[in-house]
Amino acid sequence: MLAYPLIAGLLFGLYFSLVGIGLNLVFGVMRIVNLAHGDFLMLGAFVGFGVFYLAGLDPLLAVPLAFAIFVLVGIFLYGILIPRLQQSVNPEMLSIILFFGLSQVIEAVMTIMFGTSERSIPSRELGSLISKIGKLLGASPEGGPVVILGQSFPAAWVISAITSVAAIFLVYVYLYRTRLGTLTRAVMSRRDEALATGINVDRVCAAAFGIGLALAAIAGVFAPFMFGSVTPAFGADATVTSFVIVVLGSLGNPLGTALGGVVYGVCYMLVQTYLSSWADLLPYVLLILILLLRPSGLLGRQVRVA
Amino acid sequence: MPSLARHTLFIAVPLLALFAILPGVYNNHLLLFNFVIFLILAQGVNIIYGFTGYLPFGYVGFFGAGAYGFAIMVMHFQSPAPLAVVVAGLVGVALGLLLAPLLRLTGAYFAIANLAAALAVLHFVANPALESITKGPYGVALNGTFNPTMAYNGALIILALTLGIVVFLRNSSFGLALQAVREDAFSASMAGVNVLKMRMIAWLASALVAGFAGGVFAWYVSVFYPDNVFSADFSIFAIVFALFGGVATITGPIVGVVILYGIYNLIGFTTPQYFQLIYGLLIIGLVLFLPAGLVSLATRRGWYVP
Amino acid sequence: MSPDAVPILKVNDLLKRFGGFHALDGLTFHVSPGEILGLVGPNGSGKTTAINVISGLYAPDRGDVVFDGVSVGGMASHKLVHRGINRTFQIPKPFLSLTVRENIAVALAYGRAEVTPPSTAELLVDFHLDAVADRPASELNSAQQKMLDLVRALATRPRLLLLDELAAGLNPTELDWIAGRIKTLAKSGMAIIVVEHLMGFIEQITDRVIVMNAGKEIFEGTLAVAVKVPEVIEVFLGGEHAA
Repeated sequence: MLAYPLIAGLLFGLYFSLVGIGLNLVFGVMRIVNLAHGDFLMLGAFVGFGVFYLAGLDPLLAVPLAFAIFVLVGIFLYGILIPRLQQSVNPEMLSIILFFGLSQVIEAVMTIMFGTSERSIPSRELGSLISKIGKLLGASPEGGPVVILGQSFPAAWVISAITSVAAIFLVYVYLYRTRLGTLTRAVMSRRDEALATGINVDRVCAAAFGIGLALAAIAGVFAPFMFGSVTPAFGADATVTSFVIVVLGSLGNPLGTALGGVVYGVCYMLVQTYLSSWADLLPYVLLILILLLRPSGLLGRQVRVA
Repeated sequence: MPSLARHTLFIAVPLLALFAILPGVYNNHLLLFNFVIFLILAQGVNIIYGFTGYLPFGYVGFFGAGAYGFAIMVMHFQSPAPLAVVVAGLVGVALGLLLAPLLRLTGAYFAIANLAAALAVLHFVANPALESITKGPYGVALNGTFNPTMAYNGALIILALTLGIVVFLRNSSFGLALQAVREDAFSASMAGVNVLKMRMIAWLASALVAGFAGGVFAWYVSVFYPDNVFSADFSIFAIVFALFGGVATITGPIVGVVILYGIYNLIGFTTPQYFQLIYGLLIIGLVLFLPAGLVSLATRRGWYVP
Repeated sequence: MSPDAVPILKVNDLLKRFGGFHALDGLTFHVSPGEILGLVGPNGSGKTTAINVISGLYAPDRGDVVFDGVSVGGMASHKLVHRGINRTFQIPKPFLSLTVRENIAVALAYGRAEVTPPSTAELLVDFHLDAVADRPASELNSAQQKMLDLVRALATRPRLLLLDELAAGLNPTELDWIAGRIKTLAKSGMAIIVVEHLMGFIEQITDRVIVMNAGKEIFEGTLAVAVKVPEVIEVFLGGEHAA
């Protein structure tokens, strides 16, 4: 049955696009490798746990909350970390090490606070608010799995995919339809010239950094539903996966990530279905091959080879 | 006295003598052995990162491959341990050759690809489908070769070789040429330097010592799992130790290992997450306040640091 | 130089494309030992691309570079250096973390082998770098970085030297002094190609100029004649009003 892995791959792929897009935005704008990216996903998942277990609300409500919190966290972290980093001889290289340190701190603090146990949320709870509103309006509630082309998929997968598409669309609107977004694109393409023309590069970068982390956090809200459970150590693997997605699309081109995510999602599901014992190898081999054969990614223009 | 002889006589020889004597007066031999291993790995990182600027985020790949090279020689060919260590080094070099195309990538791209490569090797070795060769995820137990004293001496010989390489690089026009390549590859080629060849030599030398180190590690511990010898901690520790002391010097990585691995052993084992927290903060502080390492405190004042 | 000297470098019908843009479009010229040749033309006319192709940064898409009777088009840069071609950079890229002395040491050690290398001390004094010899190159000012770049090239004992905008940013005293240095090098038998925007400097040092436009040669001769040729005037005044 090819339909199942293809559709599941597409749903996961759209979600993977959201997983990677923040990392790419940060790299594209600042040439900074956020090795703590996966840890912000993990933190987003914990916002979801808080909303569900402490407030008893639909985890979907954690999406706007996580976004707001992590935009602010991002702007704060930008202020204390990045200007100093940019003064060093080789910010791109040192950023890898710096953010590795940050990822260690986040993982350690979360382990100290919440332990190492695996946490999850029952799948049907995601979107419970929507079905309640639907019920109030008299529509028949659709709590169960969603049927697409004769195959049934968990509703949570579909909700994650739809939210991801919406978030990526909003990133597009931000980059192409707002003033700050236009300046962001200017900084992405020619940083030195943007500085010379008097653009407040720091403000543009702080915003991009905040949005980048916030996108990771909202992807994290869905992580328990997509991956089954989340622990404080979830971040490291999520970072590598994000890199694969981003590099597949094109490092430095946030919208290319959407394509990278879908390609990765479909490959992932196909290998899971037909070659499952080698599935763990896929992301790494894919990453290396893409970097070597097409370093600019599937959509990229500029080539980065020595 | 030429500086090459001075550095050998006053840095390399005393360090080796110290670690040759210490097992007689200090009982925790495993700790001493780990110190020697990290001295080798930190200097190996120094060769490739310090002198050529490639950040080997997946450096452990060579180490793990070396450990498995040793294990396979012993398990399948009943090889004596010293021969198996030599093969471990050659396995490191072979992996280095296989990954040589990664040298085409620059900056963060190389670091990420190298990380992915190490993870790919791990998942390859740990694959249950290869159980008959590598024992897959179930780990290796080597009975016939267990001899910690000999393995420790083997590690000292490899440390001597590694120090010899670094002393040579610090005192030769070959080492200067490598640094020239790191600073600007095209300028270096216009100084007559064969950039591709130089990089390759440094890369393989660095792979060789890590492969050897993996081999003696396997010899020393005799029982290990893929996750032990491919643990990302080896890469990260080696990089942070080298960076903390200061790369492209002989003394920097030594100072880094002695101080940081010393601290690690004072606070590390009882409460890992607190250690992780302190470690993360230390890394962040290092990048922000001392990006060129401890030796930069001296070089900034115009002092020469060997 | 004598007009019948055998050229050390012949460039034949060179073509170099970047995407659809022809940076070089059939460039042909030659230069002889002891000669100083100027390459002039408006921005984007292909001067620096020509130097980049001759020094091995790019392989030509068509045509050939013949150095000392051997076809060297597309050869790796370090091999060209070993044959005796070297260059300076418009924006010098010295090895920043190495000292001035170490910068020179690399070029001395890896340069052309058949010739005795010049002494570091002499190079340092000749190009006014002796006071900063043991400082990292990152601490040099931009004029000193240019001199270090030139010294790096000279330390490899070149027979053909390509100077890409060496004069830009130097003050009039420095200009006179460096002009004298370049002429001395040429007298020793070195062939020199100078890419420059400063016409006074070009006039002062070159024996002959090639005027380039859109990747082609449009004039060859002395600068004094060139400035009277309508096509040359058109290229300089029509393209850039500021020139």
